[in-house]
Amino acid sequence: MALVPITILLPLVVGALLYALPRAPLDGVYPEPSRRARGDGWLARVIGVATAVATFAMLVAERDAQWSVRWLSRPFTAAFHFGATPVAFWIALLLALCTACAIATTRVARTRDFVALLLMLEGTMLGLFLARDLLVFALFWDLMLLPVFFGLLNWGEHPATAWRYFIYNFAGGLTLLLATAAFGVIYGSTDVIGRTGAPLVGAWAPWIFAGFAFAFLVKTPIWPLHTWMPPTYSGLPPPMVAVVSAVQSKAGLYGLLAIALPLLPNYVHQYALPLMVLAAVSLIYGAVVALVQNDAKRVVAYSSLSHLGLIVIAIASLNPLAIKGAIVYIVAHGLFSAALFMVLGYVEEREDTRSLLRLGGLGWKNPRLAGALCIAALAALGLPGLAGFVGELVILIGVYQAGYTWPVVVALIAIILASAYLIRLYQDVMNGPEVEDLPVRADLSWVEGLAVAPLLFALVALGVDPAPLLRL
Amino acid sequence: MPHHLLGVPGSYPLVEALWLLPLAGAILCWAFGPQLRTLAGWLASALVGASFVLAALSWGAATQTAGAALGASQALGSWLPGFDFGLLLDPLSLIWTFIITGVGFLIVFYSIGYMEGDRAYARFFAYMSFFVFAMLTLVLSDNWVGLLVGWGLVGVASYFLIGFWFQRPSAVAAARKAFVINVVGDAGMMFAIFLIVANVHAIGFGDVFSAAGGLSSTLVFWICAALFIGAVAKSAQIPLHTWLPDAMEGPTPVSALIHAATMVTAGVYLVARSAPLWSHNPQAQVLVGTVGAITALTGAILGTAQWDIKRILAYSTMSQIGYMIMAVGVGAYEGGVALFFTHAFFKAQLFLGAGLVIHALNNEQDVRRMGGLWKKMPFAFWVMLTAVLAITGVPGFSGFFSKDEVIFGDLQFGHPVLFAISALTAGITAYYMFRLLFIAFFGEYRGDVDHAHAPGWTMNVPVAILVAPSVAIGAALLSGGENSPWARFFAAQFGPDMAAIAHRPPAISEGVTSGIVFALVLIGFAIAWWRYASPGAQRDAGERLEGETRGMPAVLVHLFYVDDAIQLLFVRPAQRLGAFFGSIFDPHVIDGAVRDVVFWARWLGTLVRSFQTGLVRAYALILVFGATCFIVYYAFAAGALH
Repeated sequence: MALVPITILLPLVVGALLYALPRAPLDGVYPEPSRRARGDGWLARVIGVATAVATFAMLVAERDAQWSVRWLSRPFTAAFHFGATPVAFWIALLLALCTACAIATTRVARTRDFVALLLMLEGTMLGLFLARDLLVFALFWDLMLLPVFFGLLNWGEHPATAWRYFIYNFAGGLTLLLATAAFGVIYGSTDVIGRTGAPLVGAWAPWIFAGFAFAFLVKTPIWPLHTWMPPTYSGLPPPMVAVVSAVQSKAGLYGLLAIALPLLPNYVHQYALPLMVLAAVSLIYGAVVALVQNDAKRVVAYSSLSHLGLIVIAIASLNPLAIKGAIVYIVAHGLFSAALFMVLGYVEEREDTRSLLRLGGLGWKNPRLAGALCIAALAALGLPGLAGFVGELVILIGVYQAGYTWPVVVALIAIILASAYLIRLYQDVMNGPEVEDLPVRADLSWVEGLAVAPLLFALVALGVDPAPLLRL
Repeated sequence: MPHHLLGVPGSYPLVEALWLLPLAGAILCWAFGPQLRTLAGWLASALVGASFVLAALSWGAATQTAGAALGASQALGSWLPGFDFGLLLDPLSLIWTFIITGVGFLIVFYSIGYMEGDRAYARFFAYMSFFVFAMLTLVLSDNWVGLLVGWGLVGVASYFLIGFWFQRPSAVAAARKAFVINVVGDAGMMFAIFLIVANVHAIGFGDVFSAAGGLSSTLVFWICAALFIGAVAKSAQIPLHTWLPDAMEGPTPVSALIHAATMVTAGVYLVARSAPLWSHNPQAQVLVGTVGAITALTGAILGTAQWDIKRILAYSTMSQIGYMIMAVGVGAYEGGVALFFTHAFFKAQLFLGAGLVIHALNNEQDVRRMGGLWKKMPFAFWVMLTAVLAITGVPGFSGFFSKDEVIFGDLQFGHPVLFAISALTAGITAYYMFRLLFIAFFGEYRGDVDHAHAPGWTMNVPVAILVAPSVAIGAALLSGGENSPWARFFAAQFGPDMAAIAHRPPAISEGVTSGIVFALVLIGFAIAWWRYASPGAQRDAGERLEGETRGMPAVLVHLFYVDDAIQLLFVRPAQRLGAFFGSIFDPHVIDGAVRDVVFWARWLGTLVRSFQTGLVRAYALILVFGATCFIVYYAFAAGALH
């Protein structure tokens, strides 16, 4: 029981310590750091991976545990109440796994600071997903923006991207806080996540729903609130974007599932059509834009816009089967988008470019790298037998069952487009004649391979037997 | 006979083993490729061969009956109630399993020699084994989702093998095209599954067939139509056929196994498997029969205008699968499956024979640069000749019986127009197949390879083995009409239940239609002889072929403009839209609307810059402080709301 707060605090504390402890002088600049700086980075990565693995173990060990301390009693009751709901459990596992994998392959300047930031990101997001109190959820919502913000500011490509990310998401955080506060005052308590209580009704309820929905749709993102996302995803260093796209993008979807659905079902139902229209636009919009991007990371970024639209459609349909599928797809998307960003990161580190116009023919000298990218891309395009397919199929069966035909047709078109842009991504990097002026580097190293293997293995395992996720 | 009990439930370790052995081969070749070296080919062949032996041993299980149940059915697991997965081996899947593992074994074995010296030797066998596993998944599944899983996996195996020589841009493009078009088919099948689950709440064949009687005929039509989109894409039917000729970029054994004998016939399997849905829906039957017939004719016409030996065979495959689809479409299931069965042998033989030629001539595929090969390569000549006689349907050869059954089936089930199209197609088939044979093997050699190097025994033996069934299996199994071994084998599968549809005795007998078809075949042969093999044509063969190349009608050179139409209607609009959204709508319209916010962000930026002291610890402090302020502030703001 005591493990729950420790799970959240551990990465935060270890991250803070990594910042605070004295460091080796930073003589030598990446990619040729001094020996001491390199040792320092190695140590930080080992500590970081160990911390993330420890959180993973603690999550598994105390799957159903809860922990609570009273926080506010006026104007409404709120508590530091933590404990995984069934859905949150899987997302938290995904988070711990992705963090471990990402830290293992971190190769950036000032590695230790970056690892610390990744741990902070894990801790704040664990706080978010394990929160059972809306106010705590909203608090961690804002806190989890900060590591990414600093990541973009210090390791990103352009500071404007950091501000754009922050302002968009903080605006969402603002409406979330306002809605939460209003919710607490009307409902009397914010300690409501994962409880079966009466839904909220009244004159304020639509506004509260709007506040939640805005925050969640910005975070996911859904068209037309997405323009912060492509630069953020392409600007962040690969390990961090892997975690952000895999898990942070699920915060909004988790919010819809765990907050909007149980507490404001009438409004989800009432606004199902606009939600579906926006999600359907995202599906097609993301897919056709991904089709013509020449920056490999932007292809995946826009594919995220497209894929996550499907989950919003599933939630808006309010069909139980579709929602089961959505949970599978949340996990599957986390796994394959993390794997895609990590492997594309490996490619960029090797070749100093991620332009599809420049890259090509890497598969010959790097068969293992090609294999990893291939499995990740196939999972992303919904190849039957891998986890993404299960999610798509079950979602669409449910949505169709709920009586919506046109979103299903739109989603099928997006699936066809996905096969086109993901195969293009893979082929333009790995296939074709070798490009002469690209540096030839070693194939996937052991550490790189081990870092991406759990993600790929999970995609296969959940694709063959998704029952643990479907039976939540 | 009710169909809802499809197999006798039980435990069939043989069936499971025959399904999984090729997967084991794939994993071993993939993981230990560098260690295995040339052993990879032998290992993959051994495991596929073992799978064939197990299939033969499963004969009894596959043909057993108990009450209304036919074949062997084994549960594998379940996702959710209604989503139950299992294996089903009945006569229909047994026939496919025989071809997949039997012909598959011969072709994998042949590849040992054909792929010798390739830099990715082991990877090739990993893909081939994986393909066999995927194809077995497709035909052994007892439900549509499992079938779709196999469907998708054979697609990706085909993608890998078409693009096997991935340093060639043409192979890369062909692989991409094949993959995307096949996903179009997958999407169609997914839609069929949505319709099925929404109305029957189950995915199993048995559950659905037993509920089919209660479904409205409109619904059944749409289920059939959506399933058929899958068949159209996978089996290269009009208008989604354009990937198949391009798929010839893959190594020739791949073309033989995947793009001739097995994968491309998956659409035939799908329709035959879903026979209880099709049988009671005349509209769906007309749709499928018509598409099949048009494909048969189009493939044959395009086959007359090709110069690449493998492309000629590819269009021939397209045409033959058109026949099969037409047959199962109109309800002549036995005939369609029989054509699949015999075609697998003679088409594999044609491709492997072409492979012998290509291998010997240093990868020359243009028939204009062949000629006179019967003297250089008599073995390849005899192989090709027997296969050509089989495919054109010369009486006595296996193709004669199966094609006859298919063409007569059109009349039997009341489709005289389809009969006319398919009889005409038989004549064109004779023309383009003999054209290939005459140009490549007759006259004088026109190429520049001095010494055709002879293929080794590992390549010759599998081809020689194939000759026997493609010559004789028709006479052995298919002769005898209603009492043939074939008809008796399928009596329980496509028996009384399927005969519920109009089975009127046609105005003319099978003997007369055979005569008509054979007359057309002779005409096709005669034209080919006159144009390419008569002494007059032989004299200036090189110039004549050049003249034919120049005079080829544009509509044939552009393959009826199907590719251009797909580009114009789908590919380019999607790309234009993407470019517009990505480089105009996102940065200008959406971001333009939030430009004020960005302006504000800049202002905030200058404010915050004063806090950017570079001390990370200071950031952390500001962070915690700021977060606390927000919480306190909004807690009070909430109070004010009250």
